[in-house]
Amino acid sequence: MTTVEGNRYVGVSVLRVDDPQLLRGGARFVDDLTFPDMMHATIVRSPVAHANVVAVDRAPAQREEGVSLVLGPDECAAATNPLPCVWIAPGQRQTEVPLTSRSVHYVGQPLAIVVGETRASAEDGADAVMLDFEQLPVVTDAEAALAPDAPLLNPDWGTNVCAELEVGDPREEIEDAFASAAYVVRRRLRIQRIAVNPMETRGIVARWDPGTEHLTAWMSTQVPHHARDHLAHALRLRIDQVRVIARPPGGAFGAKDHVYADEILVCLASMRLGRPVKWIEDRVEHLVATFHARDALHDARLALDENGRFVAMHTDIVGNLGGYPSNVGTGPFRISMTMLPGPYRFDRVGGSLRAVLTNTTPTGAYRGFGMQEATWVRERLIDEAARELGVDPTELRLQNMLGPSDLPHTTATYQPYDSGDYPEALRRVANVCRPQGPHREGSVRRGTGIASHVEFTGLGPTKMQKLVGFHLSGYERATVRVEPDGSVTVSSGVMGMGQGIETGLAQLAAEQLGIPIERVRVRLGDTDVAPYSSAGSIASRSMTVGGGAVVRAAEIVREKLVRLAAHHLEAAAEDVELADGTARVRGVPGADVSVAHLAEQAWLNWDIPEDEEPGLEETFTHDPDSISYSYATHGVAVAVDVETGEVRLEGYWVCHDSGVLVNPMICDGQIVGGIAQGVGIALLEGFRYGPDGQPLTTTYLDYLLPLSEDLPTIDIDHLCTPSPFIPGGMKGLGEGGTIPSPAAIGNAVANAVPEIADRIVETPLTPDRLWTYFHEAGLHDADLDDQ
Amino acid sequence: MKAETRMINAVVNGQHRSGEVEVRTPLTDFLRASLGLVGTHVGCEHGVCGACTVLVDGQAVRSCLMLAVQVDGREVETVESLAEDEELSALQQAMHEQHGLQCGFCTAGILMSLTAAERDGASVEDATCDVLGGHVCRCTGYQNIRAAIRQHWASLASNEEA
Repeated sequence: MTTVEGNRYVGVSVLRVDDPQLLRGGARFVDDLTFPDMMHATIVRSPVAHANVVAVDRAPAQREEGVSLVLGPDECAAATNPLPCVWIAPGQRQTEVPLTSRSVHYVGQPLAIVVGETRASAEDGADAVMLDFEQLPVVTDAEAALAPDAPLLNPDWGTNVCAELEVGDPREEIEDAFASAAYVVRRRLRIQRIAVNPMETRGIVARWDPGTEHLTAWMSTQVPHHARDHLAHALRLRIDQVRVIARPPGGAFGAKDHVYADEILVCLASMRLGRPVKWIEDRVEHLVATFHARDALHDARLALDENGRFVAMHTDIVGNLGGYPSNVGTGPFRISMTMLPGPYRFDRVGGSLRAVLTNTTPTGAYRGFGMQEATWVRERLIDEAARELGVDPTELRLQNMLGPSDLPHTTATYQPYDSGDYPEALRRVANVCRPQGPHREGSVRRGTGIASHVEFTGLGPTKMQKLVGFHLSGYERATVRVEPDGSVTVSSGVMGMGQGIETGLAQLAAEQLGIPIERVRVRLGDTDVAPYSSAGSIASRSMTVGGGAVVRAAEIVREKLVRLAAHHLEAAAEDVELADGTARVRGVPGADVSVAHLAEQAWLNWDIPEDEEPGLEETFTHDPDSISYSYATHGVAVAVDVETGEVRLEGYWVCHDSGVLVNPMICDGQIVGGIAQGVGIALLEGFRYGPDGQPLTTTYLDYLLPLSEDLPTIDIDHLCTPSPFIPGGMKGLGEGGTIPSPAAIGNAVANAVPEIADRIVETPLTPDRLWTYFHEAGLHDADLDDQ
Repeated sequence: MKAETRMINAVVNGQHRSGEVEVRTPLTDFLRASLGLVGTHVGCEHGVCGACTVLVDGQAVRSCLMLAVQVDGREVETVESLAEDEELSALQQAMHEQHGLQCGFCTAGILMSLTAAERDGASVEDATCDVLGGHVCRCTGYQNIRAAIRQHWASLASNEEA
């Protein structure tokens, strides 16, 4: 365990409090919950990509043994309200989505629900539901959906464009800058469609109590209150009739950041049956039913002057929304534009977006949320500029990077970068990032690549969210309570999902109160207990905003403890110290009292100062003044086999700054885990459709996730520039591993094989893609040993 | 259509357990639903991710690819058998100390595979490459799991020397 001078817990790699239960198999994920009278649901999903449902016959399913309920699209739609979109772009053509509809826009779209005594009987019933489809022409590619003769998902719109947006400097000024620049680098870059794939799929247990007319829903979700609010809205219940008990998801990464139509249908089924109903998504289902991510095409340019100074950057984005706008809709593409500048200076910068509907699964949130895509685009352009101009890519970056004295700095894309030393992170990585073997070794080429980014964390000031049309508030509220026995309960609206927030928040409270961490319990996830949070755990905000609220609440409780101790010990408050659950008078041995005793007295309202309220608890609401900007540089050394197209990562270095690290071990774990997902994007993953809109990557034999052999040991160095806004100085960190890693890997492959560098614009860089590039560049023509 | 059922008897985590199961019931469902042993998780149901790994007669198997009837008369061990009373096993403790888990969903399967590997006398190289290579983890990036394996295997070696 590392220690920080003077700190007992903050900055210390405390082992995680939830580990023992998880290791023993004692944790309870949603599928582990069972009730004696519980039934099982199966969702009937469209097998076709674009169609109208012309006939529904539930009768054959209703006759199946063990089936108790079959609700078709009409019954479900009549009984529910549509789900509102959450982040709405100006002029967005669709802002709510019915839970079911006879209009099918993608394979996997939920159409009906069957409930049976067992999962098997429900699945047998689902197979028996008769649906007749009038199939329509299909379009899966966003660019193709823009063509004048493209099939239209909503014919009355006359277009598949759902929203259009421009961000940054005025377009005319940007174009003037490009027109007069000495050098322009232009590329079409694509970030592929990703399926999020937490190891635990989605699921829900819904229990409607007909006597009390109350719904309890156990969910695998990042956002308990947000799910509750939307459940109530969709089911036409009062919010007080709904309780969500979130179980810590077995991974979420953004895919569980809202309540889905199918989950709401399970609740509806429970309401109809008056019995608990469970639904667990299976993996094949997850690959089409849980929202996808990324799927963006960028026509992007970087302009430089004759000295290599960045003059302008712009991207035209075609973003694939899928069959319907998701809860976040245009959000990721929008963030791609606002975070496009990264850590660099530009005279002019901006982007434009056309967000398009296609016959594919809707796209939503995934770790890195638009920043990974922006970093791919920007860092590839910078490396290509360096290569074409014959300058060192690290020097080109340093020349154009904002330095510490340039901050705070507000970009033309409205981002008020707060604090940090971007060039130092780059220098540290550049100093150590080296090929791990000879440049050429038989058919193997080695190279290195670097990428730098700035990261938007700690969503966010509520005022800002309102301004941009994001219908979630940004504050977090925390309650810190010292119980009558001196133990501590911390309640927060954020949610644990494997990221260790339970431990981190306990560390913050234990540090402030001087109480051993073993006596601190963090309670999350139950909407009847947790303070309201409309945003929950998304956008790298749990430790920043959630932690900030805990720090302030705990500070206030500590101040009261000190006053109570001073009163009890007849000392001055300035002379009271709190440590190990005891209050002592500095320099007076024997003058001490246990926190437990003080707490007991406080809750009894015995012998406490006249002007003090009874009890020992505080609720503090923290609405951050601004976004917190973390940053990093990643460097990677690759070995590329020109004969096979295989890319091996031989070394990986990170220099990262997200302010104060409450638990360095957990922070490093987040970075490494994030990098693994970036490696997946860079080399392995990609969800594909056939021309008829049929999913092609439907199992783990086709959709490849990173394994241990794909990940080298990662070397992490930290800088620490505390956040100026967050009590405690923490910035967000969860997404930083994923954001620059594909760009660093792409840059390394281009560096290793410069003959095909201009073609490194699209991920994943699979062996067959690279082999084709090598082949078309003539690299297989001569004897490889001669090259 | 009513499914055919069979009575099965197995020794699960050292205890005699029996139950009547439909012949189509996967071993995962028997363990989790019939026996209440929910520590074994289901990640993919097609034998790739490894989260469902348990030991049958000491051998690591994908319980999602086995039928419950196949363990009739055999010995099954799940993650619940590893800790002694409330104390974590040495391997579990190593995972804890090395931060080898985040969400914990894939962890039980990895622990069982490594338990079989340890009993089989696998080398640390085999454990960190071949054995861990059969498991998908979406959270950790594997680095700390490898560190936990190295820590545990090193302690086995020093225990042997002692």
